[in-house]
Amino acid sequence: MNWITICDEQALPAKRGIAAWVAGKAVAVFHLGDAGIYAIDNIDPATGVSVLSRGLLCEFDNELYVASPLHKQHYSLTTGRCLENEALSIDIYEIKRQSGKILARLPA
Amino acid sequence: MKVDKPKLVIVGNGMVGHHFVEQLCEQQLNRHYDVTVFGSESLPAYDRVQLSKYFESSSADSLMLATETDYAAQGVGLQLGQQVSNIDQHNKQLTVNGETVFYDTLVLATGSFPFVPPIKGNDRRDCLVYRTIDDLEAIEQAATTAKSGVVIGGGLLGLEAANALSALGLDTHVVEFAPQLMSVQLNDRGGELLKQKIEALGLGVHLSKATQEIIDGERAQHRLNFSDGSFLETDMIVFSAGIRPQDALARECGISIGERGGIVIDDCCLTSAKDVYAIGECALWQQQIFGLVAPGYQMAKVAVSQIAKQLLDNSLVSPATEALRFTGADMSTKLKLLGVDVASIGESRGFEHAQYVELSDVQAGVYKKLWLDETGEYLRGAVLVGNVDDYSHLLSQYLSGEALEDPAVTLLMVDDSAPLVLKDNAIVCSCHQVTKADIVEQVIAGKHQLAEIKSCTKAASGCGGCAAVVQQIIDETMQAQGLETESGICCHFDYDRQALFHLCQVENISDFEQLYQLHAKDASKLALGCDICKPVAASIFATLENEYVLNEKHVALQDSNDAYLGNLQKDGSYSVVPRVAGGEITPDKLIAMGQIAKRYDLYTKITGGQRIDMFGAALSDLPAIWSELIAEGFETGHAYGKSLRTVKSCVGNTWCRYGVQDSLGLAIALENRYKGLRSPHKIKFAVSGCTRECAEAQSKDIGVIATEKGWNLFVCGNGGMRPRHGDLFATDLSTEQLVSYIDRILMFYTKTAARLQRTSVWLESLVGGLEYLQSVIVDDSLGLGAELESQMSKIVASYQCEWKTSLQDDVFLQRFNEFINPNDAPLRDETQYQYQRAQKFPMSSEVQTFGAVTHGLSKTGDIAITQLDEEEVLV
Repeated sequence: MNWITICDEQALPAKRGIAAWVAGKAVAVFHLGDAGIYAIDNIDPATGVSVLSRGLLCEFDNELYVASPLHKQHYSLTTGRCLENEALSIDIYEIKRQSGKILARLPA
Repeated sequence: MKVDKPKLVIVGNGMVGHHFVEQLCEQQLNRHYDVTVFGSESLPAYDRVQLSKYFESSSADSLMLATETDYAAQGVGLQLGQQVSNIDQHNKQLTVNGETVFYDTLVLATGSFPFVPPIKGNDRRDCLVYRTIDDLEAIEQAATTAKSGVVIGGGLLGLEAANALSALGLDTHVVEFAPQLMSVQLNDRGGELLKQKIEALGLGVHLSKATQEIIDGERAQHRLNFSDGSFLETDMIVFSAGIRPQDALARECGISIGERGGIVIDDCCLTSAKDVYAIGECALWQQQIFGLVAPGYQMAKVAVSQIAKQLLDNSLVSPATEALRFTGADMSTKLKLLGVDVASIGESRGFEHAQYVELSDVQAGVYKKLWLDETGEYLRGAVLVGNVDDYSHLLSQYLSGEALEDPAVTLLMVDDSAPLVLKDNAIVCSCHQVTKADIVEQVIAGKHQLAEIKSCTKAASGCGGCAAVVQQIIDETMQAQGLETESGICCHFDYDRQALFHLCQVENISDFEQLYQLHAKDASKLALGCDICKPVAASIFATLENEYVLNEKHVALQDSNDAYLGNLQKDGSYSVVPRVAGGEITPDKLIAMGQIAKRYDLYTKITGGQRIDMFGAALSDLPAIWSELIAEGFETGHAYGKSLRTVKSCVGNTWCRYGVQDSLGLAIALENRYKGLRSPHKIKFAVSGCTRECAEAQSKDIGVIATEKGWNLFVCGNGGMRPRHGDLFATDLSTEQLVSYIDRILMFYTKTAARLQRTSVWLESLVGGLEYLQSVIVDDSLGLGAELESQMSKIVASYQCEWKTSLQDDVFLQRFNEFINPNDAPLRDETQYQYQRAQKFPMSSEVQTFGAVTHGLSKTGDIAITQLDEEEVLV
């Protein structure tokens, strides 16, 4: 999959999630300032509903997670694994900044 | 071949008879027996020990121990208002209202009846007794015309009855034959102090008075003539001169009866008749009748265990354990009579050659006496009046039967700070016979909250006097396991919610990053915390400062619903609930709401809180929907917050012909006062305009019921998963008093409750329970009253409609642009919703029509059965 431009770097709100369309799929993007920008599937695999960008950010043992706003499962922003249920996981996306734009792609 | 189950019949549905059935079901013996209970009263079992509480609410509801439905659910037949007239012990059959009923095993739990002394005139009008709810109704009726009342009998029950008469507003007198009050439990000096305290409350106490006759009075209905020539006039009389075992049924069929009454039982609680047991106050064991509930409960346990053993023996499986035997019971007791604390332990009236130590503090109104054996090494009994704090400690020393380690006098001056050391077999809760070991076992099994221990062991769920000791055992056991007792709310903080609240208040902390850097366990540059500590912090900041919850400092802390000021639903859409204070709404506003709902295609439903919930709003539509609602005069309903939801109300005396106060006006005023208050969990109120209680106020956190004289306040009720009736907190309050108490209670709750703890569980977790809360709020025992009220007025003064504020805030409005690149959206499948019963539902939901219910009544789909309540749809 190729790199896909999402938005201008300045447009991305800080310290919270926002959803973005990447090649027809809903993706949740989290801009954590110096700690980096993360992107994961926006669909919560526990319910099939597109809501993860609206979840609360969490930090456990130096690992970053988002808690689903529906039933509070935690998904790692770096591995996509669900903390509560090994059977659940989500895709994570690579992010890069290029000439003032934010780009995303699914890792090969 | 189907074999009929053996028949087990219980005669009597009082406290002991009910406890027997509970024990039976706990051991699942109801599966092996066909169980039938015959009760002579029209109500199922109720709490006779707390009888005078009936007058607090003029209703038996709070006294009920079970309902007929509970019995039916266990498959136990309960037949009330039934008189058993005969037992044929040879053919094993009973006569009940003329019909014959067979039994294989029979349990007599017929209780006792009040003894009415053979005084001439004892059958005059308004000469009553005090034992059943019917008796209470008769007393209440008589008190409507009476100005004065006399209780004949100054024992434990007599004083309870006097409490009831005094609560009914009568000029109350106690007449006792003996030279002291409570002559069974107390010694002369203890009785004297009790008398002084009762007289100080305005009651008359007349000792050494033998009533000879009751005749017409001159200034009141009756005159009691005493043997010493004196007399007393009164409008009504309650006899409470002791109890007699209700043994008539057993006596008539030839079952052995003691010389002075009582059905003779052995250690297995078996009577002289085959397969017939007797338990409770009707039973005589080794020439003793036990007139307290705890020994009756023990007998019930013994009888159940014997019946279980018999079942095992019959099934040819060798019994795993020996059945229990009744070995007598401790008659120690602790109670509050007319507001005076009284306790007695063991041989409280002393005995021959006894040693003793005694403390009499007239100034403080405290009397204590300990009885020791002849050597002075063993505690054999105690009397406590005025201060019973040492009761648990002394009782465990007495029950342990071990020699005192220190001189007995040190027991009179227990240092509160010294840890109490209990033996494993020490009985902590004497109401339910729970030992320290029972509690330790449950704590080790993972139950760490007082409320959990209460429900699984029943400890502290009787009189509640042992709650502090139970809490201490929980703490000690957890420490022994190496667990932190002050367990933190999450992995980031070692503090519980109350401690965090205190830290934020004292150190003036008002943002999460500051709180994190100062008090979190591990340092982190990001200070992100988690979905537990962030919403807790947000709630604490809101309670303390009541700032706009979505301001830059707080927005990232808010949970799913608060974060978008809406109620997130299963499909990712939101529901919208404007405030409709007290449920009062104008036709114009109803029309406006309907038009808005139509415009945005919202599913509408009336909630349990008397307002309207509109479902299926897209995230991006929320600002537009709210700006229309606000333009029509609506404001946010805070349905998304852990905060005050609604004040439900009946229509009140402005329309209702029964109402005694304007309940609706009060409900609107209360809702407007407390709207926006953030709390550990949601809070619901209700106000009823009369005792018919149409607003169901007793199931709410704060319930108000109008009386002729003012308002009765109920607190800490709950519907939901674990329903709980509210406790009557105070009666006949003026509106000012009512508001001041509610201010204090709510602020004290927001300050001290655990995370997501409803008021019901909070109250149960307070050591000292309702009385403690009353002392903090009414008597201001912690000196917090003024501070709590001023905090509440700060919150009331800083109220804002969060949606109104939000609509003026561009940064906030950006949150509703769900996608940062909406133009890249794929072509949407527009069939996200289905339409049923003329409204929309999520496509993924199965909308039921319940054909089996509607069949024959109307066309399929006409009746809405889906139950959507604010309870259920809010996370």
